[in-house]
Amino acid sequence: MNSYRLYKLICKNADLKENRHPMLDKNRFMKFLMAFMWLYYAAILIFMGVVMALGMKDSYNGVAAFHVFDGGMLWLLILDFWFRFVLQETPAQQAQPYALLPIRRSFLMNVYLTRSGLALGNLYWGFLLVPFGLIAIAFPVGWGALIGWLLGWWLLLVANGYAYLFCRALILKHLAWTLLPAAIHGALIAIMLLPDKNPLDMPCTLLMYGFLKWKLMPFLCVAALIAFLYWANYKLQMSMVHDEVGKKEEKEIKHATQFNFLNRYGRIGEYLKLEVKQRMRNKTVKMSFFVGLGFMIVLSALSYFTPAYDTGFMRSFICLYNYIVLGMMTLVTIMCYEGNYIDGLMSRRESILQLLKAKYYFNILLLFIPPIILLPLMIVGKMSVWMNVGYFFFTAGVLYPLLFQMAVYNNNTLPMNTKITSKQGNTAQQIVAMLILFLPIGLEKAATALLGNPWGYIFLAVLGIAGIATHQLWLRNVYQRFMARRYKNMEGFRASRNS
Amino acid sequence: MEIIIKDLKKTFGEKVAVDIANLTIHSGEMLGLVGNNGAGKSTLFRLILDLIKADTGTVRMYGLNIDINVAETEVWKDWTGAFVDESFLIDYLTPDEYFQFIARLTDTTDEQLQEFLAKFQHFMADELAGQKKLIRTLSAGNKQKVGIMAAMLLRPQVLILDEPFNFLDPSSQNAIKHLLQKYNEETGATILISSHNLQHTVDICKRIVLLEHGKLIHDIENSEKQALSILENYFEIND
Repeated sequence: MNSYRLYKLICKNADLKENRHPMLDKNRFMKFLMAFMWLYYAAILIFMGVVMALGMKDSYNGVAAFHVFDGGMLWLLILDFWFRFVLQETPAQQAQPYALLPIRRSFLMNVYLTRSGLALGNLYWGFLLVPFGLIAIAFPVGWGALIGWLLGWWLLLVANGYAYLFCRALILKHLAWTLLPAAIHGALIAIMLLPDKNPLDMPCTLLMYGFLKWKLMPFLCVAALIAFLYWANYKLQMSMVHDEVGKKEEKEIKHATQFNFLNRYGRIGEYLKLEVKQRMRNKTVKMSFFVGLGFMIVLSALSYFTPAYDTGFMRSFICLYNYIVLGMMTLVTIMCYEGNYIDGLMSRRESILQLLKAKYYFNILLLFIPPIILLPLMIVGKMSVWMNVGYFFFTAGVLYPLLFQMAVYNNNTLPMNTKITSKQGNTAQQIVAMLILFLPIGLEKAATALLGNPWGYIFLAVLGIAGIATHQLWLRNVYQRFMARRYKNMEGFRASRNS
Repeated sequence: MEIIIKDLKKTFGEKVAVDIANLTIHSGEMLGLVGNNGAGKSTLFRLILDLIKADTGTVRMYGLNIDINVAETEVWKDWTGAFVDESFLIDYLTPDEYFQFIARLTDTTDEQLQEFLAKFQHFMADELAGQKKLIRTLSAGNKQKVGIMAAMLLRPQVLILDEPFNFLDPSSQNAIKHLLQKYNEETGATILISSHNLQHTVDICKRIVLLEHGKLIHDIENSEKQALSILENYFEIND
């Protein structure tokens, strides 16, 4: 078979892997939902592109709209980088099934790296860039300029994609590497926000202007960057395929902490131990916890050090985000990790009920972390104590019960400890996460508008306390509904295990 | 505890996985389930354990003052131990932690647990107890041992093991044969095992059921180990 046919075959297999995912294959609604969300976000981006082009045209006297947009280029690249964690697999994982076939690994790696570069995902931002460019560049400057500008953006997004793959591979070797992109992006954000005038505005504008004018140097620079990142990825990912194939026996764990103090809580205590150990000993679960914690700290720090988040909405968002994110990251996909050993759990009487209770108590304990992180904001008066009290109880007694409903419907097993993780959670779960992140703010605003401050927050707290007080009832209700759907759920867990 | 299977049918699409009109497994019986791949052995176990939904029919457990349909209640889980595959294991625990977890769920004291583990010392061969290795890092054979032991830990009146000899070295296969026989004699538990190892199955099971395409085609009395020739004939082993 010649190289081109082999390339096409590997690409076809990669597409089939996506299209024949058991959860997608069986669920027409899921297919519809994914298509709907794809179109929905595309529509939002188009809308934003148009609004930004028109808005910037009027707001900044003497400065072309595209200059203003390009000045903020790094924001889009940072956003694009972190979104990729949800959506993009690494080549080493994709190459693994071929590892023992008579195909050169170097060829495989080149196929997957090329595919990553040419992936249609890199064009998704086009829904924002094309309408913006049409209004802000094509009509005032010319079509040639628009094409150059779009080509420049595409090259930057390809480079960003390779940078992501490199960082992701390092992170999968050790979680601490998360600090590398976090530090670089944190530094960039600080440089952009802290001084009165953003010093990166001009270099970004000049680079993009170079694309627009079809200057050779900007294209050469980005092409060189892509070539360098491609080479670095090639070297790193090849070593990772070797690691995956010759997977080394995991060493003995250093500390088998027993958490004996939980023994006094009987069976619930045993399931609490499971919750803690699940987070401590599984890379995927541990990573989602630390990523959530990292975002909490970064958002709070930005709010503390800069005036950029001083609007009422952003304060509410930061407060809500801090309280809900750690719980949300595991509760949206509640039972999905347990899908790995669901048959064992289902062989014990009422084990699911005990597990749900333990999960609830564990997540209540997590709610004591946000007040510590948000304390500096409360001290300097950027966030009210009442807002914290309101969201603490509202999260525990209203948002958690809502998230626990997912236990009835989730039936896709998620890998807990893969070195190289793929998507975490399906589209429906991501929608629930988005709703949980924004809907409560509407309720908070309505409550504080109607009842005033602090009574609006006290109202939220009272709702939450009612939910906490009745937790035995609604947890049993969730359990009973889970049991009513158990066959369907177990079938889903089995079908998606190891897929 | 008697297990009564009636009109039990399960299909996956066009394929009939299990289709058993009547099968009663008597209390204290040690029953071996044999059949080629796809005969429906594991599916039958999953149906008995209420892990998949039957299209029609029932699985009932019948004993002193008890007559229950396993799909309608969970009480039978208190006296039933099972190991079918790795999805029964919580693989981020060490074997000790897993045994302790199961023990605490079943109100087994630490002393009782130690006593239980002592009986399995030879079977564990210094590779499980006291190790700080997580279950996911164990060999397939050692995982199998953990699963079998965890199933037996609550001293079940009904014990269901799918392919218990798989992955085990010859010494461990013999050890588990003796452990199962002894357990059956001591407790009078009803034991169901499936296996492709005809010799082991014939050695320890007094009754052997042969499945083909989900249907029960032979129900063989094996008190004198007379089933071996019938099974060898069926599987064309000596041809």
